[in-house]
Amino acid sequence: MKLRTGKFFIREGFRSLKRNSTMSAAAITSVIAALLVIGIFFIIVINIDYAATKLESQIEMMVYLEDGLSENIIDTMKTEIRSINGVKSVEFISKATALSNLEKNWGENSYLLEGLEGDNPLPDAFLITLSDPSDASGVALSVSSISNIEKVVYGKEELANLLNATYVMRMSSVVIILILLFISVFIIANTIKLTLYARRREIGIMKFVGATDWFVRMPFIIEGIVVGMIGAVVSTAILGAGYYYCSDLVKNQMIGFMSISLMPFNQIIISMVMLLLIVGVVIGAVGSLISVRKFIKV
Amino acid sequence: MIQFKNVSKEFADGNKVLKNINLTINNGEFVFLVGSSGAGKSTIIKLLLKEMEPTAGTIIVGDKDITKYKRREIPYHRRNIGVVFQDFRLLQEKTVYENVAFAMEVIEAPPKEIRRQVPIILSMVGLSKKAGLYPQQLSGGEQQRVSLARAMVNSPSILIADEPTGNLDPDMSWDIMKTLSEINQRGTTILMATHASDIVDKMKKRVVEIENGIITRDEMRGGYSSEA
Repeated sequence: MKLRTGKFFIREGFRSLKRNSTMSAAAITSVIAALLVIGIFFIIVINIDYAATKLESQIEMMVYLEDGLSENIIDTMKTEIRSINGVKSVEFISKATALSNLEKNWGENSYLLEGLEGDNPLPDAFLITLSDPSDASGVALSVSSISNIEKVVYGKEELANLLNATYVMRMSSVVIILILLFISVFIIANTIKLTLYARRREIGIMKFVGATDWFVRMPFIIEGIVVGMIGAVVSTAILGAGYYYCSDLVKNQMIGFMSISLMPFNQIIISMVMLLLIVGVVIGAVGSLISVRKFIKV
Repeated sequence: MIQFKNVSKEFADGNKVLKNINLTINNGEFVFLVGSSGAGKSTIIKLLLKEMEPTAGTIIVGDKDITKYKRREIPYHRRNIGVVFQDFRLLQEKTVYENVAFAMEVIEAPPKEIRRQVPIILSMVGLSKKAGLYPQQLSGGEQQRVSLARAMVNSPSILIADEPTGNLDPDMSWDIMKTLSEINQRGTTILMATHASDIVDKMKKRVVEIENGIITRDEMRGGYSSEA
């Protein structure tokens, strides 16, 4: 395509946008609405992923020991555990340390623990951190085969729940996003159809003086793409501003035992801009192609 | 050269508009196509422009069988054929100059070529002074001359005129016929479908009459009806 032809297409595309300003505004609004919802789902999915990886990297394994083991045995066990593949570090927590940790955590309620020093019910334990959280079950298996171990505990179920939630969220997002895409394409196709109808004389003239099919189609496709792009820019601006505000608000809020924080703004914004821009342009182009194909038969 | 060989056209509803037509038009000829409405004149024009396909037969333009053209070759075929219509078909929001230039823009002619060619063609049809006006500021005859300029600006070798004087009063019609004669004298083949008997009678050109899908008369220097 020659440069001047490109200019011709862009000029014609914008001209017809202006000419049907009401319909164009309607189309842009629907694209904005669709992209806003798509963007929100994107943010949710990304953040669940983000939380999951963060949680995975925090995973620790508690190994509770049988009562009354000698220091020698405990030392041997520690070395044995350290030699297991995937174990990053091992820390021994004696029942006394465990109790004082508990007292610290409970704060002013710690008087409830008074009197336990003599007959401490807490077991001795090893705290294991893992080099790769996906090895967790393998490490747990190896550790429990060592003798004198009562129980190996790690956030297996919590992790599974989280991954499960991510999956459900992803699937439902895909369905909703597909429906919204379909609606936007339909609305854009209708807008372009009106433009085509308004300009049918011009199209007729172009055809009998020998313009190629692509030459006739191109301005309308550009028009659709411009609608999609304007929609993308507006919705990114809204979502970006909203996210910036929310991530500040949510920062370091505690929900239950989990420390929640959103993915940092500058990490998410680029992928969001790219996603919405591409989706906007594609639905714009596809929408106009659909009506142009039907209309422009030579 | 335009050649119809055993061309038939039958519509989906079974209506046979053309029945085994044979017609040869040589380069540089001026041919009137006459006959009552619905006789098949516009079908012949549409077949030439490849707006529709014949049911049977071959149509040759230049030295190519146009019935064999693929869809993407059609635009290039049309660039060799200028067309004017009874209703002018000008773009109202464009000036005279822009209407003519538009025909060059859409076939991606270089801007330099457009700036050079449009004034030449406008002076040929006598509209140099009206280049900046809009179609509704012009008389019917002038509008038809704009559409003639648009048809000729890409220098086609064939000009098809479908009732070009149908909406014009007699004076303006003669203006147009004068311009068409000039175009013909420069070597362009002209095929003009018309009901204007006085024009056909006075021009003394080849007349092809078609009735009910059959060529009933083909006369050199003929009149509108066979008795004339």
